[in-house]
Amino acid sequence: MEEYHSGDEVFMVVKQCIEGVIGGVDYNQNNVNQWTARIVEHSLTQLVKQGKPFKYIVNCAVMQKSGAGLHTANSCYWDTTTDGSCTVRWENRTMYCVVGVFAVAIAL
Amino acid sequence: MSDLAKEKAARLLKKRGSLSSLGSHDVRTKEPAWKAKDSISTVSYIDEPGHHDDIPRPAMQMENTYQLGPTKRFPVLTVQDILKDVLASYLQEEKYEPELCRQMTKTISEVVKARVKDMMIPRYKVIVVISIGQLTDQNMRMGSRCLWDAASDTFSSHTFKNSSLFAVANVYGVYFE
Repeated sequence: MEEYHSGDEVFMVVKQCIEGVIGGVDYNQNNVNQWTARIVEHSLTQLVKQGKPFKYIVNCAVMQKSGAGLHTANSCYWDTTTDGSCTVRWENRTMYCVVGVFAVAIAL
Repeated sequence: MSDLAKEKAARLLKKRGSLSSLGSHDVRTKEPAWKAKDSISTVSYIDEPGHHDDIPRPAMQMENTYQLGPTKRFPVLTVQDILKDVLASYLQEEKYEPELCRQMTKTISEVVKARVKDMMIPRYKVIVVISIGQLTDQNMRMGSRCLWDAASDTFSSHTFKNSSLFAVANVYGVYFE
């Protein structure tokens, strides 16, 4: 299950969610709040639709492009045979978006 | 599996004509070592190929507790103190530099994970996410949404800022039922 999660499917699902919310727009401070909330909710709904026995954590950061740098790292203590994560980086002309998805298996 | 080994050891000892309890002790000491293998952490970076398949490990099965909830909950405030402590000590005097901060995020995430592991909260899986960024005139928004059991799972978060950089640390604790 972990191999399936860290494959391309989750990447594509999340990428489509991001593009659906901030696909053709420029950075706007008034809307960022809504955007992060929508990206995270849509991603979570799409992941849940897959019907797999996982608990999900979806993390999203949207940053304006101004030449500044950003680094993200994550460290996880879990069962590597059943749990997995996936990070999606997306950008357009005016902003960066980094989405991290972590899936933790539920015992069945 | 350990029972089979115990029987084999007992049979061997009987053949040699002595029934010492040393045999069973030897077999029993194997179990704690086996349990210690449960917690293996791997570090993988997005700019390097994944190391997941280097060590072939058998799949570990955790037994049912038959309990309604966790005996010891995830200590949110203690973990927040750990985050404050680690971020302040590593980043107080630092200036933003790409190479330094890249290494710093990885180091800090490992350090925080090690300290949370030291707290030995049973049956909790831990996820630590660290972001370090440069402070300029840009604006940034971070959001996080989780699908879990709100009665047993929780998170802890802390932000740190100095004159040239900011750091955001999130620790998620997920209970394994």
